[in-house]
Order: sequence, then structure tokens, then C-alpha cells
Amino acid sequence: MGIVIEKLPGITKGLPGGELLLTTADYFVDLGRRASLWPMTFGLACCAIEMMGSYASRFDFDRMGVIPRASPRQADVMIVAGTVCKKMAEPILEIYHQMPEPRFVISMGSCANCGGPYYDSYSVLKGVDRIVPVDVYIAGCPPRPEALQYAVVKLQEKIARMKLSQAGGASLQQERGSRDVVGGAAPQPLPGSETGPRIEVG
Amino acid sequence: MTQDELYSKLAAELPHLEKAQTQVKDYLTMRLPSADRLLETVRALKERLGFDYLEMVSATDWLGPVKPEGYIRNPNPIVFMAEGATPQSIPTATPNFPYRPMIELVWMLANIPEKIRLVLKLEVPREDAAVPSLCGLFKAADWQEREIYDLMGVAFTGHPNLTKILTPEFLQGHPLRKDYVHVKDRFDE
Repeated sequence: MGIVIEKLPGITKGLPGGELLLTTADYFVDLGRRASLWPMTFGLACCAIEMMGSYASRFDFDRMGVIPRASPRQADVMIVAGTVCKKMAEPILEIYHQMPEPRFVISMGSCANCGGPYYDSYSVLKGVDRIVPVDVYIAGCPPRPEALQYAVVKLQEKIARMKLSQAGGASLQQERGSRDVVGGAAPQPLPGSETGPRIEVG
Repeated sequence: MTQDELYSKLAAELPHLEKAQTQVKDYLTMRLPSADRLLETVRALKERLGFDYLEMVSATDWLGPVKPEGYIRNPNPIVFMAEGATPQSIPTATPNFPYRPMIELVWMLANIPEKIRLVLKLEVPREDAAVPSLCGLFKAADWQEREIYDLMGVAFTGHPNLTKILTPEFLQGHPLRKDYVHVKDRFDE
């Protein structure tokens, strides 16, 4: 990101309609992040069918810049679509750690939110937020493709509020996990936090 | 071949098979008296009677009503449930039902040219349940027997690779047994 800001005068020269672009670094970086949210391609259960429907031409996720990637190294967002079994928890954690930062998680459907109808089961994890921090939860069993697209819109709104001056550009929720954040507390960088490289500005 | 023809054929060739009390759907269902003659019976069915296709292996635990400890009782305030609430109604015993400490194994064999199915049933005691493996006769039995071993705890003697197939390594016990008690693991908190 530092490269982009260093070379900013060179880049803005080629922009149509003007020789100079005046904006904040936060806006510019967040624009790039939120307009190309590439999800990791994987599905766990029936919610994945609705996720596939969202990618297909009727709902057309591409127009929002959401293009599924085959590798977690190229992905920005993980859509946890379906029931998370305890046996699947470790691979999900591995995928999450393979994704470059900043990374986001959408928990899709009742099963991924809290276990859903399998809450009382011996084999199902009661909510994917027990292992990874979740940015957006979608209710439904399964949610419609519109709901998934609304979740992406909400995630874009969340990214638009991210500040480079905070650790890694990640919110406190992403650093600590969504359940540990007390409501209304101002986001502060965690002392000794090792998640994410700090972005140098200028 | 009709069911009656098959039944008379079985009575002549394999006289130790009895007709089971309850039959599976409308297929001819036969009961084996003991596990000793299982391999011999299935081999005869495969080689002499043309039942060369194993459709499925399954098992039933006939112990009384299921133990509530098998469920996860962890009232979670995030799920809207009162403190100490029971997520599901506690299972009760059905009156006059013949509960017994036995595991019933079910094999379904098919004779595809004759378009007929045969169901074999065998009851083994729950403690140290063991039956001979059919892997030597049917390759299809491999994973299904592993699944039954994993979920019901029936040891298939002679199986080449009798290991867990579905549940994670840290899960203790066999979850589909009626007296299964869930031991909390690291994902249950």
C-alpha cells in the first residue's frame, strides 16, 4: 500500500478529467478494498447452493466486484456458507490463516451463526465465530442470494470506515473476535498485537 | 424370480436361515441365528444364488430410550433459551416395546439379473460387539463397515483398515449408540 501512495502523483496523471486527484489515503485505500471483495471458493452445506446462485447470472455478484477465487492467498473475504462440523473447524481455521490481511468473514445462515437446527448435536460447532472473528452475520436457513448480496453491501460500508492509522487497517473486532468487543468502545490498537502488518502511510 | 421362489430356494440351500419377524420394506428378510455362519452364508448367496451386489450395511441399537446425556446440554444465552432449558424433549420409553441390549446388523444384497433383493439380519450383543467383515467378498463393504464401527462400535473382524471414518479423532465413544454420553471437547467450551 505504501507503494501506491508513493507513486500516487504518477498514477493520478493518467486519470481521466484531471491531472490531480485530491482525496484522503483512507478513502482511496478503502475504495480499492471494498470494490473488489474476492471471496474464497468453498461451501459447506446447502447455503453454498444459494451462494452459487448469487454468483450466477440471475443475481450476478460480478457487478459488485465479487469474484470467487480458487486460492485463499488471493481472497479477501471468506463466506462460511453452511454447517461447520467440528472436523471441518480446523481446515476453516487453516484457510483463514492462509488469507492475506485485511481479511473478512461473512457467516451465512443459521448453522454458521450459532449451530442452527444442529445446536444440540455432538458433531457441530455452535457458530463459526467460536473459531474466527465474523464481520457480517446473515440470518436465514438458507438466506436468499439477495441477503448475501446485502451482507456484501454491509461489509463494504464497514470497510469504508476503516482507518489506516489503526493496526493493520483491521478493526478491533477483527483482531479480537467479535464476541470480546464491548459495545460502543472506541477502537484502539491492541498492545502487543501481532495480527497484520502495520501499514506505513507516506 | 419371485419372493416365494427365492424363499423355497433358500430353505433348500441354506436351511439355517429363518424368516425375520419384521421385514425391511417388502423385501424378503432373513435372520441369521449367529455370527459364526455369516461368511459361509454370504459366500453361498454370492456364488451359488447370484447375489453378487452388496447394496448396504447398516446397524440398529435396540437398547431402551436414548440417554439425554448424549445431547449437548449447554444453555447458551446467545441462543434464546432459558437457563437450564432442555433443547429437545427428553425421550421416553415406548410401552410394550421389546427393548433389548442387542445391536442388529442389516445387510442388503441384490441379484441384479433376477431383479430381486434379499435382506439379512443378525443380532449381536452390545458388549464387545463383533462380526466377521465382508470385505473379502464385497469391496463395497469397506467404508460402510468403517462407518458402523465409528458410529455404533461394532468391530468387524478381518477388516483391513478398521479406523474412524466420520467423527474427528478427539470424539470419544460411538455417537449412535443409545447410551452415548457426550464428553465435552475443545470446541464445546
